[in-house]
Amino acid sequence: MNWMPLASLALVLLLAPLLPGVATRTRAFLTGRRGAPVHQLYSDLAKLWRKGVVYSNSTTWIFRMAPVAVVVTAMLAACLLPLDGREAVVSFSGDLIAFASLLALGRFALVLAGLDTGSSFEGMGASREVTFASFAEPALFLCFIALVRATGSLSLGGMLGGPLTNAWPAAAPSLLMVGAALFAVLLAENSRVPVDDPATHLELTMIHEVIILDHSGPDLALILYGSALKLALFGALLVGVLVPRAHLPAAAALALLAAGLLAVAALVGVVESAMARLRLDRVPQFLVAASALAFFAVVLLLW
Amino acid sequence: MSPFFLGLGLILGGGLAAARSGTLFRFLVAVGCVVGSVPAFAVLAGGAPRRASVPVHLPGGPWVLGIDALSAWFLLIVFGVGAAGALYGVSYLGRWHDRARAARAHLLLSFLLISLALVVTAAAALPFLMAWELMAIWAYLLIVYESEKPDVRQAGLLYLIVTHTATLALFALFAVWGAQAHDLTFDALAAAAPVLPGQGAAVLTLALFAFGLKAGVVPLHFWLPEAHAAAPSHVSALFSGVMIKTGIYGLLRVLLLLGGAPAWWGWTILCLGVVSGVLGVLWALTQHDLKRLLAYHSVENIGIIMLGIGAGALGMTYHQPVVAVLGFAGATLHTLNHALFKSLLFLGAGAVVQATGTRDIERLGGLAKRMPLTWAAFLAGSVAIVGLPPLNGFVSEWVTYQALLAGGTLDGPIRLQVLAVAALALVGALALACFAKVCGVVFLGQPRMPEAWSAAEADRGMLVPLFLLVLACAYIGLVPAVAVGASVRIGAAVANVGVAGAGAMPRHLVAAAQAAGWVSAGLVLLVALVALGRSRRRARRRPRQPTWRCGYAYGEPRMQYTASSFAAPLIAAYHPIAGVRVERSRSAFRSHPTDLVLEGGVRPLWHGLRWTAERLRPIQQGRLPLYLLYVVATVILLLLLSCTGRAA
Repeated sequence: MNWMPLASLALVLLLAPLLPGVATRTRAFLTGRRGAPVHQLYSDLAKLWRKGVVYSNSTTWIFRMAPVAVVVTAMLAACLLPLDGREAVVSFSGDLIAFASLLALGRFALVLAGLDTGSSFEGMGASREVTFASFAEPALFLCFIALVRATGSLSLGGMLGGPLTNAWPAAAPSLLMVGAALFAVLLAENSRVPVDDPATHLELTMIHEVIILDHSGPDLALILYGSALKLALFGALLVGVLVPRAHLPAAAALALLAAGLLAVAALVGVVESAMARLRLDRVPQFLVAASALAFFAVVLLLW
Repeated sequence: MSPFFLGLGLILGGGLAAARSGTLFRFLVAVGCVVGSVPAFAVLAGGAPRRASVPVHLPGGPWVLGIDALSAWFLLIVFGVGAAGALYGVSYLGRWHDRARAARAHLLLSFLLISLALVVTAAAALPFLMAWELMAIWAYLLIVYESEKPDVRQAGLLYLIVTHTATLALFALFAVWGAQAHDLTFDALAAAAPVLPGQGAAVLTLALFAFGLKAGVVPLHFWLPEAHAAAPSHVSALFSGVMIKTGIYGLLRVLLLLGGAPAWWGWTILCLGVVSGVLGVLWALTQHDLKRLLAYHSVENIGIIMLGIGAGALGMTYHQPVVAVLGFAGATLHTLNHALFKSLLFLGAGAVVQATGTRDIERLGGLAKRMPLTWAAFLAGSVAIVGLPPLNGFVSEWVTYQALLAGGTLDGPIRLQVLAVAALALVGALALACFAKVCGVVFLGQPRMPEAWSAAEADRGMLVPLFLLVLACAYIGLVPAVAVGASVRIGAAVANVGVAGAGAMPRHLVAAAQAAGWVSAGLVLLVALVALGRSRRRARRRPRQPTWRCGYAYGEPRMQYTASSFAAPLIAAYHPIAGVRVERSRSAFRSHPTDLVLEGGVRPLWHGLRWTAERLRPIQQGRLPLYLLYVVATVILLLLLSCTGRAA
C-alpha cells in the first residue's frame, strides 16, 4: 500500500481552511491593515459546528442535503487529483471528467438549495453562479485538452504526473498559458476578486455569499469548509501543472505541495488588493479571455 | 425471431383490448415488450443474429427482418420506453378524457410501438420504408390527439410536412443506392457499397438530410419542439426517447452498410453535433413552456450523440479503431441513456401538467412539498441529463469525452476533433443552468400562482413507470460495466473492426467504467451516511423561520426570482443567437422565445412557396374545356420536342 496519495490527501483536507485566511491576511497586509488571524476559518468552523440551525419555512430536504453534497463531492474530487504530483487515491482513464462533474454536482446542489428558500436574493446569486460557471467550464476543459495533448494521457495521474514532467521542456509556453488560464478559472470558481468579492456587504452584488444566506450552524460550516476545499483543489491543480514533482522524493513533493498552496493563496490575496472586482457584465469577458488563452495553448500543441 | 413476433402480437392485442379495459392494455403491452426483448437480450449477450425472411412477389427482393447487435440495442430502447409509456398513459389519459378517446390513443400507441420495432429490425429497404411511413402516420395521429386546439393542429401539420420530406429523401436514397444493387435487401445494398460513385456521397448526403430531419439536428429541428409540446406527455416521452432515435439508428445503419465514410461526412457530423448541442441547450434556456424546454433538450442531446458518431466516423476514416469504437460506443450508450432520462423527465412533466393544468413554468413553484415523489424522480432525471454522477448521463458523456480526447492524442487531421471537447463542456454547463432553472422554479420555493397551491401527488399508475426509469438510470450509473461493455461491442460492430481490432481498449474502458461506478457508489454512500448523521443530530431541535429577506419583513411568492430572470444573464451574453424577443414597459418585463430557424428560415420559405403558388392560380379555372386545351397543348409540345430531338 502506497501511503503517499493518502498522506497528501490528508494534508490538503487539513490545510484547506488555512488558504482563505492566508488570502485575507495578504490582502490586509498589502492594504496596510492588520487583518484577521490566518487560522480564523478554523475557529469559525469550530464555533459554527457547535451552534444550532434555523431552517426557512419554505425549504425542503434538498436544502439540508446540499451542504453535505458540497463537501462530499469536493472530497471525492480530491481523491481523483494526484496531489503529490505522482498518483491519485483513485485513478482511471477519463477521471478528469469525473473531477469536473463532481464539482458541478456540488454546484448544482448548492444552487438548488439557494432556490429552495424562495428568496429573490438567493435566486439572483444562483443565476449568477450558473452563468459564470458556464463560462468557466469550457476554459477548464480547454486547459485539460492542452494537458491531454501535451502528455498523451487521459487520466489526471498522467496529466499531472510523470508524463507532464517529460513534456515540460518541449511544451513550456503552452503550459505557462495553461497555468495562467487555470488561475483565472480558480478565481472564478472560488468566487474571488475580480469575479466576486468575498468581503462585500451588499447582497445585491454578491454571488457565492448570497446563495448561502439562509444556511446556518453546522450546515454553514460544511459549506464554508467545502468552499475552502475547492480553493485548495484548484490550487493543487495549478501547482500540479506548474511544479511537476514526479522526480522528487516523497517528502519534498509534499512540502512543495504545501508551499505551493500557500503561495497560490497569497497570490489570490495580491490580486484582491491590486484590483477591484469587475462589473457583472464584464465577468464573462474575463472568462472568455481565460478560455482564449487556454485555446491558444491548445493550438500551439496541436500545431 | 418467434418471441419477437409473439411480443408484437401481444402489443397489438393490448391495443385492441384498450377499449375494454385499461388494465388489460397495460398488462398485455408490458408483457409483449418483455417477451419481444428476449431475442434482443440474447443477441446482445453474444448470441447469433436472428433473421426472418418473407418471400413477396414485389420488386426489391424478399422482405427480411433481422436482429443484429445494433438492431437489438435499439429494440431494447423501443420496448423499454414503450412499456413505461403504455403503463403511464392509462393513468395519465384516464383522469382527463372520456374512455373511448383514451382507448383510441392507446390503440395508436400500440401501433406506433409495433412500427418502431419494425423500423429498427427491417433488413430490406421496402419493409423499412413501409414501417417508417406507418410510424410517421401513427405519430401524426397521436400528436393531434387534442385536435380541438388550433396550435396542436398546426404542430401536427408541420410534423406531417417534415416527415414526408424525410421519407421522400429516403426514397431517393434507396433509389440511388438500389440502382447499383441487384435487389433492395440490406445485404445486397452493403455488397453494392464499394461501387457507389464518389464513395457514396449522394447516399451519405441524403441520409444526413433524411435522418437528421427525423432526429432533429439543428437546423432541421424546427418541427420537434412544436410536435413534442403538442402531444400527450407519455407520447412526447416516446417521441423524444425513441422516435427521434430512429434517425440516429438510420445514420448508424447506413454507415454500417457502407463500411465507412469519407472525411467530409465525419467532420460535417461533428460540426452539426457542436451546433445542435450548443444551440439546443441555449434555446432550451429561453423557454417558459416545460415541455418545449424538454424538447429543446432533446435537440441538445442529439447533438451530443452526433459528436459521438462524428468521432466514430472520423476514427474509421483515419484508421484509428480505438477512436472509432469509443465514438460509436459513446453515441449508442448516450442514445439509450437519453431515452431513459428524457422519457423520465417527460413523464414527470406530464405529472406536473396534470396536477396543475399548466405548462407555463412561471406560474408554478413549491411543488416539491406537494408532489414529493414526482419531484424525486424529476430531480433524478435532471441530474442524469446534466451528465452528473451518480446517474447514467455521466457514463455516456464520459465515454464520448474520451472518444474526442483520444483523437487529440493522435497525429494527423483527426487530432482537431479534440476541440469539440470544449463545446461539450459548454453544453454540460448550460444544461446545468437550465435544469437548475427548471427544478428551482417548478418544484422549489413557494407556489407563484393558484394552480400550484392546489397540486396533489400523481397517482400510483404514473409513479410506478417513473421509478422504474429512475432505477434503470441508477443501474447504468452505478454499475456501468455492463452497459459500457455492450455499447463497446456495438461500437466495434459499426466501426467494422471487431472487438479485437481495438486492442486492449475495450477491456480498459470497462474497467475504468467500473472504477467510475465505484466513485459514484461512494458518492451516494457518503452523502447518505453524512446526511443520516446530520439528521440524527438535528432531530432534537429544529426551529423554523421565514426565509431571510435581507431586512425586508414582507415577502410575496411573486417576488421570487422567475425563470426569465434566472436565465436572463446567460441569454444576454448570447443574445444574437438566443432568439429571444424582449418586451419592456413601465410595469412589465416579458421575454418571448422564438425559434430562429422556424421564424427566420422555414416560415419565410413556406410563405414564398405559397406566394408562388398563388401566382400560378389563374391557370386553374376549374373549367373543363380549358383543361382539355392544356392536354392538347402538352401533347403538341411533346410531339414537337420529340421531332426536334430526332432531327438532331
